[in-house]
Amino acid sequence: MDKILFFNQKESTIMHIDLNSCFATIEQQANPLLRGKPIAVAAYATDYGCIIAPSVEAKRLGVKVGMRVKDGKLVYPDLVILPPDPNKYRNIHLALRKLISQYSNNFEPKSIDEFVVNLEGYPAFAKGMHNVAAQIKKRIKSEIGEAITVSVGIGPNRFLAKLACGLHKPDGLDEINKDNFLRIYSRLKLTDLCGIKAKNSLRLNSMGIYSVLDFYNSPLAKLKAAFHSILGYYWFLRLRGWEIDDVVFARRSYGNSYAFPKPFKTPEEIAPILSKLVQKMGFRLRKAGYKASGVHLAISFRNGTFWHQAKTSKRPLYTSVEIYKDAFRLFVSCPYRKPVRDMSVSVFGLIKRDFSQLDLFEDVPKKEALAQSQDAINERWGSFVIAPARMLSSSEFVPDRIAFGGVKELEEFVNAV
Amino acid sequence: MIDRISAPVSVALLFDHSTRRVVPKWLIWEGRKYPIVKIGLHHTYRKGRTLYHVFSVTSENLFFRLVLDTDTLHWRLEEISDGEAN
Repeated sequence: MDKILFFNQKESTIMHIDLNSCFATIEQQANPLLRGKPIAVAAYATDYGCIIAPSVEAKRLGVKVGMRVKDGKLVYPDLVILPPDPNKYRNIHLALRKLISQYSNNFEPKSIDEFVVNLEGYPAFAKGMHNVAAQIKKRIKSEIGEAITVSVGIGPNRFLAKLACGLHKPDGLDEINKDNFLRIYSRLKLTDLCGIKAKNSLRLNSMGIYSVLDFYNSPLAKLKAAFHSILGYYWFLRLRGWEIDDVVFARRSYGNSYAFPKPFKTPEEIAPILSKLVQKMGFRLRKAGYKASGVHLAISFRNGTFWHQAKTSKRPLYTSVEIYKDAFRLFVSCPYRKPVRDMSVSVFGLIKRDFSQLDLFEDVPKKEALAQSQDAINERWGSFVIAPARMLSSSEFVPDRIAFGGVKELEEFVNAV
Repeated sequence: MIDRISAPVSVALLFDHSTRRVVPKWLIWEGRKYPIVKIGLHHTYRKGRTLYHVFSVTSENLFFRLVLDTDTLHWRLEEISDGEAN
């Protein structure tokens, strides 16, 4: 097999589009006075808030994603810090989605700021991939916002299109294909490949693979030995331009998480926040027409330790009250009472709510109808108009946010508009 | 300096049927009139079923975030900034 699998000879049909410094660029689009300035969007605008999106100008000065606001200000004291405005970003995402859908139906958002488009078999392909990419870039500027730039990568598979997209940022347009892949591989490090970070790099090093060219030239058996799994085979195909990443994973759970701004540790302080997380999650679960088989709770403490536990329920969970009861039981079973850094709660084992099992001791249809009525009222008048009393002290916590790589969350948003 | 506020504001909004564009032309805040020279972004969001239109605009040297409640057709000024750090 090693001898017969050459680099994929087909023409490039995949385009990877990445909105540069997404949140910061959109803020600069909205406020022209911020254009050309080092700015950053941070989870919280306070000193210890985490920077989630520095602008291109801020990146050039050394401000990085994940820095604390105070560290960003040490790098550049006049750094403008903005809190996230998810509605703004979702609107731009929808505008991009609409524009891209005019070229191909076969596209997929990978996150709020990344799209993969396959032009194979579509009329736009006849114009040439580079021409289409240039046209998309031009139309984004004229129809969505003149400050918004995207990098576009073109390749025979998704992996190489994404790799090409990262070659020149911002505003790049590159292709990796059968003619230039060796030249491009020769100037990349292993960790430049999406999916290869320190640990995988060490694995490859241990097999004598130190460069991307070594990686490409390695026989399949060597890669299988390096990864001890099917992953070796996947990398063997990816690097040769064959498609292996065209997979959409079905949703298997719903969850919400929250990074605590204060070092809460008592149940009295944490329960209202847990309740709010469950309310948000329960609403999403019911709206999608599911019940769940169990609850999972994970807590990261400020001292770096971690605790998590899952519980399968005897009956399917549907209302937020049921989910909260199980989540709270899990929470009180946690043996540690230490200051919490972040907490995530999720439900798993999704079951389509096609019918409900009746119960001798409980009016199940009535209970479910009540939950649906509460959801309808909250949808009409705004989130948390009807909410549990225990949530009362949580109004300043768990604001609207966009999940990293939150493709599933975006589906919910797109379906709602 | 970025100031987040929530103040009533007067806004003149023009709809041009030939271009099908809706453009805020000027606003009056605290007795002073600010002609709008640039629209950075127009986006919408819903709170419950109420639709809000947000216009991010600039006058000569100030940025304003103007929000129109489509239930009441009332405007609010939610943010004012000179584009400098706080």
